[in-house]
Amino acid sequence: MIQIVNGLVYGSFLYVLAVGLVLIFGLRRVTNFAHGGFFMVGAYVSYAAAVHLGFWTGMVVSVAALALFGVLLDRFVFRPLSKEEPIVTLLVTFGLLFVLEDLVRTIWGKDFISVAAPDALAGSVMLFGSQFPVYRLFVIGVAVIVALGLALWLRATRVGLYVRASSVDPVTTGMQGVDTDRLSAFVVAIGTGLAGLSGTIAGPLMALSPSMGGYIIIDCFIVVVTGGLTSFTGAFVAALVIGQFHNLGLVYLPEVASVIPLLIMVLVLGLRPQGLAGTGK
Amino acid sequence: MSEPVSRVAPTVGATGPAPRAASGRMLVSAVLLLAAGVAVPWLVGSQLMLTLMTQAVIYAILATAIGFLIRQNGLTSFGHAAFFGLAVYLLALNGKFDLVPAEVAVLAAIALPAALAFAAGLVIVRLPPLAFSMITLAVAQSLHELMLRWRELANGDDGMPVRLPSTLFGFGVELFQSPSTMFVVCWCALVLVVLALAALSRSHFGVLTVAIRENEERARYIGYQTLVPRAVVFAISGAIGGLAGVLFALYNAFATPGALHWSLSGEALIMAVIGGAKAVWGPPLGAMVFFVVKDAVGDLTEHWPAIIGATLIVVTVMLPHGLSGLVERIVRRLKDNRP
Repeated sequence: MIQIVNGLVYGSFLYVLAVGLVLIFGLRRVTNFAHGGFFMVGAYVSYAAAVHLGFWTGMVVSVAALALFGVLLDRFVFRPLSKEEPIVTLLVTFGLLFVLEDLVRTIWGKDFISVAAPDALAGSVMLFGSQFPVYRLFVIGVAVIVALGLALWLRATRVGLYVRASSVDPVTTGMQGVDTDRLSAFVVAIGTGLAGLSGTIAGPLMALSPSMGGYIIIDCFIVVVTGGLTSFTGAFVAALVIGQFHNLGLVYLPEVASVIPLLIMVLVLGLRPQGLAGTGK
Repeated sequence: MSEPVSRVAPTVGATGPAPRAASGRMLVSAVLLLAAGVAVPWLVGSQLMLTLMTQAVIYAILATAIGFLIRQNGLTSFGHAAFFGLAVYLLALNGKFDLVPAEVAVLAAIALPAALAFAAGLVIVRLPPLAFSMITLAVAQSLHELMLRWRELANGDDGMPVRLPSTLFGFGVELFQSPSTMFVVCWCALVLVVLALAALSRSHFGVLTVAIRENEERARYIGYQTLVPRAVVFAISGAIGGLAGVLFALYNAFATPGALHWSLSGEALIMAVIGGAKAVWGPPLGAMVFFVVKDAVGDLTEHWPAIIGATLIVVTVMLPHGLSGLVERIVRRLKDNRP
């Protein structure tokens, strides 16, 4: 039972990371291959800021820095390349991944760094008869807030309406007078800001290292593709399922845990090539 | 294969030379290239240089596999190290557990990546190209994690030696481990792979897969089964990746998870992009340039990842068809200017 909660923690965390990619894909029809790199940079930035300013300020700094990074990414990569084939953007962001990893290795070194949970969340509670760290429950809470926040924003605000419209058809949305370029800068900033947020919450969950992005991107990409690329609900369900199986794998078959999510994806895509909630486009 | 060549060649290169002359020229240049490769160890005295060149040729084969996939399927693999590393580890594990004779293992290390690529291809080549790229990266990384975590099997980050018998296919194993002879072996493998792929591109199958790449729906309406040819292209690409891994394992006699890491996939992809995947000879050219530059930057190799990342960005934006595209453009201009 406690393992299922652990799986939920990992799934929640994956959702926060993956939904950023879904947002960006919806508007720009491209994937940021450096998303794992952004996640890693977010983790290191919040770690560096938290040393002086505490965990919570570190989180704000990390999200803000990564969101700013997202605006620059949209302005200088996504927008100029939007007329090219998507693969061009993929290759450019992939190049960015190399640069980011080298940068982090140069600044912080390649050794593992562990981060403690903030004092307010450091304890543990009794859950199903065993001790469970409060911090892990906090991770679930963050994912719930992100999911509800996004749903409210997309369903109930004018900007959210524009975002949804633009994910369906960016050209027509532009013709209706929506400034899709400005919208896209905003959405990409949220997407990368979420990478910063997930990097921050990853700190106390796993150790920091320059290779953490390469590790997490496995499950993140699998979640996005399994969910159907454009669907927030699809990403949510896929994150919870993949997170659950990944965690059970870690407990019962630790050696081969990394390939289990892959098998689930192959199974889902074999039955539904367009993904869980994809439209097949 | 010669009959379909003459039938379909006009659609491939209406402006190119006549098909028979083209295949004749291809054969002559292949013989010349093979001869040149055999001559290299006599011309290059430095063992260090030969070692570097041997490695360059092995990576060139991997880059060629990626280029072939881009050209025939329009799909970009960000995880070709999966096939490369799989071959390396198959040989290493066979040496450890003594399962089958080394010759069989070598063949299996090419056949198994191909079979896995075919099976996976049936599912993943149907995805949008973008999702395909994401999944190839995820597959390779999860194999990397597998070898890293399963310490009892593969000794984790420390890697494991590839134990080989003293003779392989009747040759002494030193043949594969001395740079002066291994260079020739790898070079011949590269030339034959490029030649075979060039012939394949001109065959009925090659033209069919290009047609599917351009418009799958239309190819299906004409009455072609489109999924299997695409999976076969992926399988061939996987087999070539496996071949590169086999050569690497024979030469270095050591396996580490690095052979599966995304940065290896990325480097090979970058070679293909620098060289340009439109021409069969583009990716090998890119690999050569890659190694010359790597040698030239010398002290800066500590920041090598940042350098290749930046290079990838610049080349993708400035030279979308790579060096081979540039060369072809210059050649065409020179021809046009001639009266």
